[in-house]
Amino acid sequence: MIHIENLTKSFTTTTKKGFKKKTTTVNAVDNISFDCKPGRIFSLLGPNGAGKTTTLRMIAGIINPTSGTVIVDQANLSEGNDEIKKRIGFLTGSTGLYERLNPDETIDFFGKIYHIPEAELNERKEYLFEKLGINDFRKKRVGQMSTGMKQKVSIARTLIHDPEVLIFDEPTSGLDVITADSIIDLIRESKENNKTVIFSSHIMSEVDLLCDDLAIINKGAIIYNDTFDNFKDEMKAENLTQEFINRVKEA
Amino acid sequence: MRDLFIIIKKELTELLRDKKTIINSIVLPTLLIPILIFGSIKVTQMISDNEQQKTIKIGLVNAPQDFKDLVAKDTLNIITTYTDVQDFKDLISKDSVQTALVFPIDWATKMDSLSSSEVQIFRNGSKESVNRRVSKMIETYSANIKEQRISQLNFPMEKLIPFHEDYVEVGEQKELIGKRIGGFIPYLFILTMWGGCLLAGIDLVTGEKERKTIETTLSLPISKFTVLLGKAIVASILGFVPAVLNLFGLIMGLKFIPGIPDSFKLVINEMLNFQSISLILLLLIPFSLFLSGLIISLVASATSFKEAQSKATPIIMLIIIPLVLAMMPGIELSWTTVLIPVLNIGLGVKEIMAGTIDMMQYVTILISLIAFAMGAIYFSYKKFSDENAILK
Repeated sequence: MIHIENLTKSFTTTTKKGFKKKTTTVNAVDNISFDCKPGRIFSLLGPNGAGKTTTLRMIAGIINPTSGTVIVDQANLSEGNDEIKKRIGFLTGSTGLYERLNPDETIDFFGKIYHIPEAELNERKEYLFEKLGINDFRKKRVGQMSTGMKQKVSIARTLIHDPEVLIFDEPTSGLDVITADSIIDLIRESKENNKTVIFSSHIMSEVDLLCDDLAIINKGAIIYNDTFDNFKDEMKAENLTQEFINRVKEA
Repeated sequence: MRDLFIIIKKELTELLRDKKTIINSIVLPTLLIPILIFGSIKVTQMISDNEQQKTIKIGLVNAPQDFKDLVAKDTLNIITTYTDVQDFKDLISKDSVQTALVFPIDWATKMDSLSSSEVQIFRNGSKESVNRRVSKMIETYSANIKEQRISQLNFPMEKLIPFHEDYVEVGEQKELIGKRIGGFIPYLFILTMWGGCLLAGIDLVTGEKERKTIETTLSLPISKFTVLLGKAIVASILGFVPAVLNLFGLIMGLKFIPGIPDSFKLVINEMLNFQSISLILLLLIPFSLFLSGLIISLVASATSFKEAQSKATPIIMLIIIPLVLAMMPGIELSWTTVLIPVLNIGLGVKEIMAGTIDMMQYVTILISLIAFAMGAIYFSYKKFSDENAILK
C-alpha cells in the first residue's frame, strides 16, 4: 500500500550573472495526494517534465520530499527510513545496472544488501534466472550485454527480495516490443501476487493493458485521479491518447 | 558495518575490472621510481661520457709554449694558432673555433718580471661544457705559474697557508641524506596517491552518473552516508596502494639497479627500515581519506568525466606548493607546520627518514590528519546528499 498526502518537492537553482547570483525555486511536484492499493496497478501518466520521475523517486526513497507524507507499506518514508526500502523494488527503463559486474555478482550484491539469507538468496536467484532465461549469460559482464539481456537482469534484481511494493519508472521506454512484453508480464504477475504496483508512462496502449487506477500529473499537480474504468466512462475523445492530450491541454 | 563492507567489495571489484585503474594504480606506481632511477643514472652517465669524448676547437693568439703544451696534453683539443687577433665573435658563431684565448705580446716580459698580465678569453656562455674545460685549463696554468713564482722567490709554501680546515662530521650519514632527499620522496608518492584517489573518486561518483547507476545506488536500503563512506574508503585504498607500490618500487629499484654507489645504498636501506616505513604509511592512511573526501566533494556535482577532471585538477597546486616548500632548506617541522596538511607530511617524512622525528610532533600530525580526513568526509557527505547536484 502506498499513501501519498500533500507531497511537494522543490528544487532550488542558482544562476550567476557576473557578480550577481539569482536563486530560483521550482516545485517539480506540488501538493499531490493519491493512494495505490495492493493487488491493483496504479498508473501515473503525464507528459515529459510533468513530475512523474520526481514523484516515483520520492516513493522509492531516492530523494526526500520538501513537505508532505509518503507512507509505503505502513512506514513513513518522509522520515528518512532506509529500512523500508527493503520492501520496495524500483525499476527504470535505463536498467541502472553496474556494467563491470556479471548477473551473478549483481544479484548477489543486491541480495546481500537486502540481507537475504544465503540459502534463500541462491534459491531465489536460480528461480529468477531460470524463469527469465538468464542462465546462458550469467557470467557475462553487464556492459557487454544487449539491452534485452540487461532488462532481464534488471527485472531479476528488482524482484530478488520479493518486495511488497513495485515502482516502475517508464519501464519500457526505449525497449523493443519483445523486451517490453516481458516487463508487461512482470507487472501483471506482480498484481496477481497481490503486490502494490505503481508505474509511470506516457504510452496509452500500455496503460490500457495494465491499469486499474490512474492519476494524470501535469506541471507537478494531479489533474485527474480515479479508477481506469471511470476514466474510460467519462471519455469524450475517440481514443485514450486523444483524451489524455485533451485533459492535459485543458489543465 | 556489514553493509559498508558489501559496498566496499562491490566498488573495489568494479574498479579493479577497469584497465585504466590497473595501469594507473598498480602498474605505473610500481614501475615509476625504478624507471626514474634507471633513466636518470643512464642519462647522467651518457652526458658525462659524451662530454669527455667531445673535442674542443681552441683558437690561440700569442700563446706561450708552456700553455700550448698544456692544451695539447688533452688530445681532444684541436688547436688553431693565429698570428694576430681575429673577429672571434664571428668565428665562434660559425663554429670555426669554440673558444679563443688572446695573450698579450709582452706576456713573456710580464711573466719574467713577476708582474700581472691579462688574458682575453672569447667564449659563448651557453656552451657550458667547453667553458668549464677551458676554465679548468686556465686555473691549472695559473696555479703552475704561481708555484714557479713562489719557488723563484724562495718563499716557503706553508707561509701562504695560514691554516688547514679539518671538518669533523658529527651528524649521521642517515640524517644528512635523510634531510636532503627525504623531502623528495613524499613528493613522489603523494602525487601518485593524488592520481589514484582522483581517478577512483571520479569513477565512483561522476562515473556512476555517466553510467546511469546512481539512481540504483541511492535506492539501496542503506544510508547515503554508508554509500559515501564506502566510496571514499575505496578511493582512498586506490590512492594508498599506489603510494605503497611506489615505496616498494623505490626499495626494489635501489636494490637491483646497477650504478648506485654502495655507500648510498647502505644509507637508504638503513633509512627505509620497517619502523620508518610503518610510520610513513600510518600517516598516509588518514591523508588518503582526506584526499578522497576532498575529491568526492569537488566532483559530486559534475556530470561528465571531463567536467570532474577540470573541477578537481586545479587543487593539485595546493598539494605541489607545500611539497615544494617541504623540500626547501630552512623549512623545518615545528609546532606550527605540524598542523598544515601536505606540508606536515612532507616535513614529517623528511624527519622520519633522517631518524630525527619528535614522536609528540608525529602524533600531532597524525591527529591533525585524522581531523582533516573526518572534515573532508563530512563535507563530501554534504555534497553527496545534495539532490540538486547528485541527480543532475
